[in-house]
Amino acid sequence: MTTETIDAYLQVDNLVKYFGNDKAVDDISFGIPEGAFLTLLGPSGCGKTTTLMSVAGLHSIDGGRIKVGDTVFTSPKEGLFLPPEKRDIGMVFQSYAIWPHMTVAENVAYPLEIRKMQQSEIDDRVSEVLKLVGLTDETDKLATNLSGGQQQRASLARAIVSNPRLLLFDEPLSNLDLKLREQMRVELKRIQNEVGITAIYVTHDQAEALVMSDEIIVMSKGKIEQRGGPLEIYSRPVNEYVSNFIGVANLLKGKVIEVNEPGQGVFELAQGGKKVKMPCLLSPGISAGEDAVLSVRPENVHAVREKDDSTSLEGEVTFAIFLGSHVDCRVQWGDFEWKVIAHPRTKLKAGEKVYLSFDPEHTLAVQP
Amino acid sequence: MTAETLSPTRERSPLNNRLRAMMTQENLITFVVAIIVAGAVIVPLAVLFVSSFKVLDPLGWDTTWGFGNYVEIVTDRIIPKAFLNTLIISSGSTVLATFLGVSLAWINARTNCPGRDYLEPYNLIPFFLSPFIGAIAWHNLGEPQTGLLNNWARQIFGIEGAIINVDNIWGVIWVTGIFFAPLVYLFVVGSLRRMDPSLEDSARTTGAGLVRTTMTVTLPLVMPGILSGAIIVFVTSAGEFGVPFKLSAPYGWETLTTQIFSKAVGDDANHFLGAAMSMALGVITVFLIWVQQRYIAPRSFTTVTGKGFRPNVLDLGRWRWLAFAYNLMFIAVAVVLPIVCLIIVSLHPVWTGKIVWADLTTINYVKTLFWWRPDAIAAATNGIANSLILAFGGASIAMVMALVISYMIHRTKGFGVRMLDFLSVVPIGFPGIVLAMGVLVTYIQTPIYATLWILMLAYITRFFPYGQRNISSIMLAISEELDQSSRMAGASWFTTLWRITIPLLKPGLFAGWILLFIIFLRELSISIILFTTGTETLSVGVYYLTNFENEPLTAALSMAQTVLLLIAIYAFRRFAGREALTA
Ligand SMILES: Nc1ncnc2c1ncn2[C@@H]1O[C@H](COP(=O)(O)OP(=O)(O)OP(=O)(O)O)[C@@H](O)[C@H]1O
Ligand SMILES: [Mg+2]
Repeated sequence: MTTETIDAYLQVDNLVKYFGNDKAVDDISFGIPEGAFLTLLGPSGCGKTTTLMSVAGLHSIDGGRIKVGDTVFTSPKEGLFLPPEKRDIGMVFQSYAIWPHMTVAENVAYPLEIRKMQQSEIDDRVSEVLKLVGLTDETDKLATNLSGGQQQRASLARAIVSNPRLLLFDEPLSNLDLKLREQMRVELKRIQNEVGITAIYVTHDQAEALVMSDEIIVMSKGKIEQRGGPLEIYSRPVNEYVSNFIGVANLLKGKVIEVNEPGQGVFELAQGGKKVKMPCLLSPGISAGEDAVLSVRPENVHAVREKDDSTSLEGEVTFAIFLGSHVDCRVQWGDFEWKVIAHPRTKLKAGEKVYLSFDPEHTLAVQP
Repeated sequence: MTAETLSPTRERSPLNNRLRAMMTQENLITFVVAIIVAGAVIVPLAVLFVSSFKVLDPLGWDTTWGFGNYVEIVTDRIIPKAFLNTLIISSGSTVLATFLGVSLAWINARTNCPGRDYLEPYNLIPFFLSPFIGAIAWHNLGEPQTGLLNNWARQIFGIEGAIINVDNIWGVIWVTGIFFAPLVYLFVVGSLRRMDPSLEDSARTTGAGLVRTTMTVTLPLVMPGILSGAIIVFVTSAGEFGVPFKLSAPYGWETLTTQIFSKAVGDDANHFLGAAMSMALGVITVFLIWVQQRYIAPRSFTTVTGKGFRPNVLDLGRWRWLAFAYNLMFIAVAVVLPIVCLIIVSLHPVWTGKIVWADLTTINYVKTLFWWRPDAIAAATNGIANSLILAFGGASIAMVMALVISYMIHRTKGFGVRMLDFLSVVPIGFPGIVLAMGVLVTYIQTPIYATLWILMLAYITRFFPYGQRNISSIMLAISEELDQSSRMAGASWFTTLWRITIPLLKPGLFAGWILLFIIFLRELSISIILFTTGTETLSVGVYYLTNFENEPLTAALSMAQTVLLLIAIYAFRRFAGREALTA
């Protein structure tokens, strides 16, 4: 997997981390340009936190090399390990980790005190940052008297107050309720933009990743599955795992039988009981004759009542739920049930016969 | 770059680079502490083991290697009997302490006994006081001729002779039993309190009565706690020196500890035989503590359901006054009577068993406390000064050690952590007198022998685990992310410890400190082995007075110690929670 980025600010090469004999992170490489917002996305236990902690220096690594700008953070082969406090990184933890024995202002001032700044400068900077995160009224409260969202903001203020060169987030929103979470997503992104800091964000919430990131790395079992912008990850997943993990997709087994132009070909479905051929886009590395998986998002399946040239399948609506802006339907085709999102004006009803058609631009053959 | 070109395995750097990377503040400090702890704990026990195979020749000049000491333990005229007495005393006091502890805990946690919120602190007082002082007090209460209770009985009921006699192994069982009852109490009261009341309710609905429900549901649920408490009491009783020394040894019932003592300092001193006897005692206690830690303690969590909710209690009806009276009786015999008796005795120039109002005097306090006076007794006044030094210094040093050790166990993942975890359980398995024998045979040839340092070393080695547990329980509850975010903020390991970790641990540090302060202030069985003239401790002062002076002087110094302990207990209650106690 080629992941070298030209003029990367943070560069992680071949990172390996073991816990005992288990590989928590298995040869991961990636780079981020300065000022970018990168998200590590993946299910629980896939090694996101471990990767983040490796960058932070909160544990040693077993192989690879991590570099920011011209500073090598860690490289076991060269015997280099910069302790976490020397890395100049801000970090927001899942539990916020606001120190309960200090006030909000003391918490935020801490990194500046450590850097031995003058008291007057500290006061100015602290109030500036508290204003940025919207905590001006809570300055002298003890951390334990803050709400979850406020602790979150205080934690962010503390992480950015010293203008670190990198900002790390480990599932910072997962302890908040849904409404606050949606609000904080936008807020976090706004502040990151305003400060212009390079950020790595860890989450298992795909919506969070899609909303906030410039780039997303999808991980599973300690490896990178795909890397790309939110739109790319969503509309051009490279394999079944990513298609399934991000959003909703109809996934059917089959075979690529023809490659016309580079990246385009014909897919033959082997699932559903009927042999159907359909033109599709090919994800990188798939050649003719190979087993593959067809991936189509529900909103890219068109269901119509009349059969015509463009329709390729015939099925029966098993249920249709009207959700205002769209209709969520299931269409039974052989033994496969298609998930379809239809426009309300089609007025589909359960029990009806429908014809499905596909747009080759949004029909993907991906790696199993 | 592809995954195949660089094999994803652990990469190894040149040795000197790796060494440099390991030389962090954190690693250095923790390494040094690990070495110190290992040295302090392992060395005396190892030397004790080795010494037990050194056999002194009949003239006492030379030693040879062999099993002679162990043979002597079995064939000696007194030692086998002492061994048997130890077993009888430990079993008896375990039964008594378990009965008292469980019943009192049940009354306080599960019933509507009147005033139970006020009773608990008093139920726990004996835990902090010295059993040795308890024995002295009970000697003056229950001695056939001069015992206060016997005299009162003769006056009030006009009987002849005595109603009780505590100068025998039953007296030892009685005093150790009531003084160690709070240990069992502490082990069970928490789970009784947090027990899900629906477990009992569902038994009641099947038609089981109160007694039956308690016996078949409540008690089995807290069985691990009861067993843990019972084992700890057995081990502590087996290692107890003061009570049998006062109540049974002078009347022909020697125990292992009194025998070890006479081998260490008595006329027939033979350190190697003492070492062998210590080994015998240590093997038993270590085995029991191992069983408790390995098999019983881990299970005690399973009985606890939700935290923090107060289950509805059983309505005892009219019987609740009986429960109340029973609890008051315990406090009377364990706390009030002994203290009242000591006060009375300490105010008499000589004690004959009767209160003589005309003779009351404070001369005993003057002689034992006023060090500047020419008639002051040095052993007593030294004892107070030395014990305060040892308690302040020892508790402080031990807590620093405990802090670093807890930190390593819970926050670092390096090698050596498991060994540290192990090392901080080992001392709990060895009675103080056993560890003291190890320290004695290890350091007798070194300059620290006959100084306070050797006492301090032994105290800390034996008791730092209690401090460590106090810190660990809090450290487990506070998130590691609090430390990590300080590192990310740019603070070094040491700054983080100083500005974040220690302030957060303050309650545990303080509770641990006072607990150790109390333990050190009353310590006897280590001190009695290691003291020399000039390094007497408070309890050694009491020992000296009871052995070479008279009961009123003994009672006066005992009262001084008790008052100091009560002040410390008050501070402990004020600033630390009940949780801090269950070590
Ligand atoms: N300190 C540790 N000791 C042993 N194993 C660990 C440790 N930390 C993580 N692991 C293991 O490493 C793997 C990756 O863990 P990691 O915490 O990086 O997952 P994650 O992607 O952050 O998951 P989550 O979304 O649940 O936070 C898991 O299998 C986990 O069990
Ligand atoms: Mg995680």
